[in-house]
Amino acid sequence: MGCENMKTMKNLYSYYLTLPAILIYSIFFVVPAVIGFYYSFTDWRLDRLEIHFVGWENFTRIFSDKTLSLALKNTLIFAVATVVGKNLVGILLAVALNMRLKTKNLLRAIFYSPSILSILVISILFTPMLRTEGTINQMFEAIGLHSLSQAWLTNPSLVIWTIAGVSIWQSAGFQMAIYLAGLQSISPEYYEAAKIDGASSWKSFFKITLPLLLPSININLMLTLIGGLKVFSEVYVMTGGGPGNASQVVGTIVMRAFGEGSWGLGTAVNTLLFVVVTIIAIPLLIFMRRKEVAE
Amino acid sequence: MISKNTKKISALVMASLLSVSLAACGSGNSGSNKAADGEGGGSGASGKKVTIELAISKSSQDSAFIQQDLLDEFEAKTNIHVNLQLIPAEQTTTVLQTKLAVEETPDIIQYNLASATTDLNLERNFEILDNEPWASRIVNKDVLSASGHIYSFHVSQDTGMQGVVYNKQMFEDLGLSIPTNFEEFLAVCEKIKAAGITPVFMPYKDNWAANIWPAAAFADFVAKNDPTFFDDLNSNKRKWSDIPEFKTFLEQQYEVYKKGYTNVDVLSDSYDMAVGKFLNKEVAMMFMGDWLIEGVAQQDPSMRLGVFPIPALDNPSLGASPLGGQLFIPKKAPHLAEAKEFLNFMASKEVAQKIVDSKGYVSNLSDVTTPELPEYKQDIVDNYITPKKTVFTTDAYMLVDRTELYRLLQDQFAGGVTPEELLKAWDEKFAQLMKDKGVEGF
Repeated sequence: MGCENMKTMKNLYSYYLTLPAILIYSIFFVVPAVIGFYYSFTDWRLDRLEIHFVGWENFTRIFSDKTLSLALKNTLIFAVATVVGKNLVGILLAVALNMRLKTKNLLRAIFYSPSILSILVISILFTPMLRTEGTINQMFEAIGLHSLSQAWLTNPSLVIWTIAGVSIWQSAGFQMAIYLAGLQSISPEYYEAAKIDGASSWKSFFKITLPLLLPSININLMLTLIGGLKVFSEVYVMTGGGPGNASQVVGTIVMRAFGEGSWGLGTAVNTLLFVVVTIIAIPLLIFMRRKEVAE
Repeated sequence: MISKNTKKISALVMASLLSVSLAACGSGNSGSNKAADGEGGGSGASGKKVTIELAISKSSQDSAFIQQDLLDEFEAKTNIHVNLQLIPAEQTTTVLQTKLAVEETPDIIQYNLASATTDLNLERNFEILDNEPWASRIVNKDVLSASGHIYSFHVSQDTGMQGVVYNKQMFEDLGLSIPTNFEEFLAVCEKIKAAGITPVFMPYKDNWAANIWPAAAFADFVAKNDPTFFDDLNSNKRKWSDIPEFKTFLEQQYEVYKKGYTNVDVLSDSYDMAVGKFLNKEVAMMFMGDWLIEGVAQQDPSMRLGVFPIPALDNPSLGASPLGGQLFIPKKAPHLAEAKEFLNFMASKEVAQKIVDSKGYVSNLSDVTTPELPEYKQDIVDNYITPKKTVFTTDAYMLVDRTELYRLLQDQFAGGVTPEELLKAWDEKFAQLMKDKGVEGF
């Protein structure tokens, strides 16, 4: 959009027209976020009338408490595992289902369908399947892969990966849909030209498909990363953070802190999550934007 | 006014931050607003219909106080309509805390007295009911009182018992008698296992279920050997890990599992499977409260279950849980007078008798008679209550949220902590929670 256009726009519509949107955004996001920021430096509790400013106390507690730091670690594991898993599976599905297959539309619908279901429903369905004598282990036993039969949700060192796996299963179809849209906007001429020049299909994937898919990759990375850092429902339904505290994530810790009546601490954990998401997401966004190529 | 606004805003903060409670708070709030706007102020005297709000956990839907015919009768008599706010079970505490904090208070709350003391700040938030017309007719004031005042109402004084729930028929068929120490208990398990039945069902996916054994065993030991321990504990003079026997009790529970006397997948099985396991005669015993017996009897009245004390010590006493399901009136209730009228109605001789009869309660009102009790309850009265062989579980002495203890107990079964580490970790968390609460000595 050129500069002249902007000027005419400015003359036609006053900036005041953005006020309603800004107002709603401020009331429902900016103000609570700022107030929450303040409360995370207080000892706000259920059983106290007065709220005192306590400086960094809540934050030092987060980093000295074993459970809280374990929750941070689990959240990062979950986020990285799901970002990689969802995008890798999503892109492979998209490329495969962009080929001339007879059952293309049917398969697309099937792979997409888990993402329509609520993650709560999926978690409830998976919980019995992942039991020690559940469907998944029975399946492995039946085909002789005894070593793959695991205590999926009750082994403390495995549980967060299991939950990440379920999340990938659910969401990869959604990532696939975005990648498919991206693939279909790539003009077939590029591939024709590459073919004439004798490029292999691997080469055209890495030199044409991937670069031109970057906008879709961007949006998918952002969505999966932020979604991964904010994980709550899957963990809450499948394990409640257990066994013990083995699968606690930031979301369930916030819930726990509020449940214990430590509202200041709960808000602090949330503020920390907000800062972490911002620190990771914004530079990534800027970096990825630069890499995008105009078609 | 300013502080009220600040609190309103903080409600918004909480709602937007805590994504789970968003839906719950939102719907709850809109419900109460609608009622308040629609029906107008609390002028019951003017003859206009008043609506009062009663907040109750969804898991307590079978509460005697919210049976529709009683609510209808109350409305016909007083022109006061009772609107129920059903709160999802696992969010009840959070939602009620929020409602009280932002002063969107319901007029009546059903909750457990012991948890109200730890979770809801009883003294700050709730009316003292010492001078209500029914208070003088209460037989056992302790089950309704905290720090010397009546804060709650109930027609029952039956506190509920915790121990080993067992299938009487199976014990008779196998010629077993009730074990009175841990060795005998293991021997009983062995015989039941030999008969092809799972001796003990442990649904420790629900971590609180792992607390029944230690809660009764700890309290029983303390009552018999070290009666000042809980006072010392709550003033930070001693710690949980100071008593070596506690470690033994935790090891015992784990031993039952390790010896193969339980369901295989203790960390995947949940409490809601228990009734079915007993109905199908898959299991013989479970460490649980006697409320489970009621649950089984509702499905199949011919099932004969009973409860015996946790056999951690020799000649153990039966654990008694604090009474639950009381009604409370918040100080900030918009319709205080009408809420009290509701309690008067429930306490009236006819209504209370009706409730006590239909629920099989042990009556707590001097002019209401206790009906004939079910077999298991009569057994408890004869074998434990009358000879004074009961003891309040640790739940009655703990002033803080116990979720972290439950998690640690679950972690013991996941192989994450030893009993020793468990008690150490709980000492730390306990001290932190007591300090946060502002208890002297911490």
